[in-house]
Amino acid sequence: MKDLIKQGLRLGSIFGVVIIFLILFGLTSTLSDILGEFVNLESRTRTGNPGGLMILFALLSLWAGSSASASDRSNWKSALVSGVSVSLIIGLFVAAFILLVGFLDSADVEMRDYLAQLDHLSVQFLLYGRSLIAGVLITFGIFLIFGILGALLAYWYEAKQAGEVIQKQVLVLKEKALDSKLAKQYKENPRSKWIGYGLLGLVVFITPQFLGKYWNYAMGTVGIYVLMGLGLNIVVGLAGLLDLGYVAFFAIGAYTAGLLTAPAPLPLQIGFWPVLIFSIVMAAFAGILLGIPVLRMRGDYLAIVTLGFGEIIRVLIRSDMLAPYVGGPQGIRDIAGPSLFGIAFSGKAYLYLIIIAILLIILFTNYLQNSKVGRAWMAMREDETVAQAMGINTLYYKLMAFATGAAFAGLGGALFAARNQYTGPADHTLMVSINVLSLLIVGGMGSIPGVIVGAFVLKGLPEILRELDLYRLLVFGGLLVFMMIIRPEGIWPAPRRRMELHEGELDVLPPEESLVGKEG
Amino acid sequence: MAMLEVNNIHTYYGNIHALKGVSITVEEKEIVTLIGGNGAGKTSTLRTISGLLKPRLGDIYFEGEKISDTPAHELVYKGITMVPEGRGIFARLTVFENLDMGAYSQPDRFTFDDDLDRVYQLFPRLKEREKQVSGTLSGGEQQMLATARALMANPRLLLMDEPSMGLAPILVESVFETIVEINKTGTTILLVEQNATVALSVANRGYVLQTGEIVLKDSAENLRKDEMVQKAYLGIE
Repeated sequence: MKDLIKQGLRLGSIFGVVIIFLILFGLTSTLSDILGEFVNLESRTRTGNPGGLMILFALLSLWAGSSASASDRSNWKSALVSGVSVSLIIGLFVAAFILLVGFLDSADVEMRDYLAQLDHLSVQFLLYGRSLIAGVLITFGIFLIFGILGALLAYWYEAKQAGEVIQKQVLVLKEKALDSKLAKQYKENPRSKWIGYGLLGLVVFITPQFLGKYWNYAMGTVGIYVLMGLGLNIVVGLAGLLDLGYVAFFAIGAYTAGLLTAPAPLPLQIGFWPVLIFSIVMAAFAGILLGIPVLRMRGDYLAIVTLGFGEIIRVLIRSDMLAPYVGGPQGIRDIAGPSLFGIAFSGKAYLYLIIIAILLIILFTNYLQNSKVGRAWMAMREDETVAQAMGINTLYYKLMAFATGAAFAGLGGALFAARNQYTGPADHTLMVSINVLSLLIVGGMGSIPGVIVGAFVLKGLPEILRELDLYRLLVFGGLLVFMMIIRPEGIWPAPRRRMELHEGELDVLPPEESLVGKEG
Repeated sequence: MAMLEVNNIHTYYGNIHALKGVSITVEEKEIVTLIGGNGAGKTSTLRTISGLLKPRLGDIYFEGEKISDTPAHELVYKGITMVPEGRGIFARLTVFENLDMGAYSQPDRFTFDDDLDRVYQLFPRLKEREKQVSGTLSGGEQQMLATARALMANPRLLLMDEPSMGLAPILVESVFETIVEINKTGTTILLVEQNATVALSVANRGYVLQTGEIVLKDSAENLRKDEMVQKAYLGIE
């Protein structure tokens, strides 16, 4: 009980401070406009949409309430306690802040001199255009009601899920008589799951039809990051090798495609399809070439060396020395795109091409993960020496992880270059490596859906947030920090990793992961 | 011909001369123990045999075949498996997954269920904990798991590094009982131990290692009676 309240207070103060910052930076007015427009509320003040603001506050407190109740959702009472404590604190923080600025404003203090975003109008907006007391009370009420609601909803949802899990377990016991233990450990997905995948696939394939030119392009970029994320996921998430120079393989893929299809600097102009294959092979080959000397190193040393490799590639493609062969700082222009049955690819077709590539790679990764190779990677990630003692050739499997990851990046690079019809050194900076690694961390290391969610959050969200313009990076950074506090294992983690980060809370794998040992 | 023949091996850590000409033979079906104090070179000897360290001089033969140049991961396929020091279980994997990793080298996955049953018979406790994350097992259970995992590879020679390490006396006894049991099923065992009392109580023969050299070798019975061994390792004045 005490712990629950403590947790609620801690989370509440984090949320409270963050919301006050949002107000101070004037972000609340922008966000409220977006939300207000979304539900067609008419704007009543010039500085923001009061109705939108209420929705914003309600959403934030729903979120806070549900995360506060995450520590104990075993019964509705503890969910209620967490909900009340967290929403009370947020409410107090924000209401006190609004009371303060409202009071200062009514006393005719010019806050603008110190805080650029606060003037008479914006204070009126924060009070929803009502009196000081009414405005503060409304804010406090919203936080209280929706915080508790959030906690209870989360409890209700979990209780419903728990019921489903028990049903699943019964099913598993029934199936158990049929097949051997081993088969079950690496069991196929049940049919219902496949139907779910089918529907998801349908949505994925239809969506591009409804997207405009800009969104098709943006989603294509997200898709290319998904490709790279899936590759790095193998290297870092599955094999446990920290690679900070992953962009090198992306660059090799892009440049191979560029050099072989563009008219200059090399007059080769081979068609796109054979070059696509060749780009993948080249990147994989580079992965092996880098891997042989480097993979004897472990941990931090490996990270530094790969970081260096990434920079070397970038410096090389940018250098004047190699400019006659690879284009130098100007990069390569007029890269040929693919065409099928004589029709050249345009915006939408590229998105489909990328989606197909992603699907193929997901299937391939899934297969690898559940094969002997995947188990070797898992053992290696846990303990290299013992893995050797189990008969696993660690150097071989490390090289394999490196080459596979590099091949995926090469594919991403080739598609990227072909779509933009241009590639240059500026496309292959360290930031790309960092972005891909971050998307893994945000999405959830070692998890395929995690990679996709991570790519959307990391590359897609900034596009959506474009409306926020100036604040884009600020919001983005804040979100990242916030997520690391609330959910360090990522948005959609692999079950094993979730378990590692919540030690003590769970010492048995969830039933869908480990299906053995339930002898009847 | 002895099953394992270690001929005068010299192993270095950089410039440190850790093993100064160690020679050991292990006959089939034997339990042989290597006793000695801290830093005597027991673990180095075992790591050299298992291919994790390369001897600078000397050779190692397993069933007549030279293995001193064989990489560690290939030895499992030849029939040598090691239970590493400090147990070395995959702490974040479940008990079952650990055992599955142990069977990594087994080409025929159909024997897996049989091997698993055999191992569970030896360690019923592990069956109870099958889906538990192995890092949460007790020390004794972790030692069981490490041993069971090694047995999943169907070794003919089992190398064990300090199985008594960090265990309560009552657990040590049960661990060594299982070692004898494993040996009875036909597995040869080379056992490295600091706890000379228990080691000599189960072994057929023993070697005493001191600062990288074998100073004494005899049957376990004779070693137990040896004055020097009694004084230095058995705590008998």
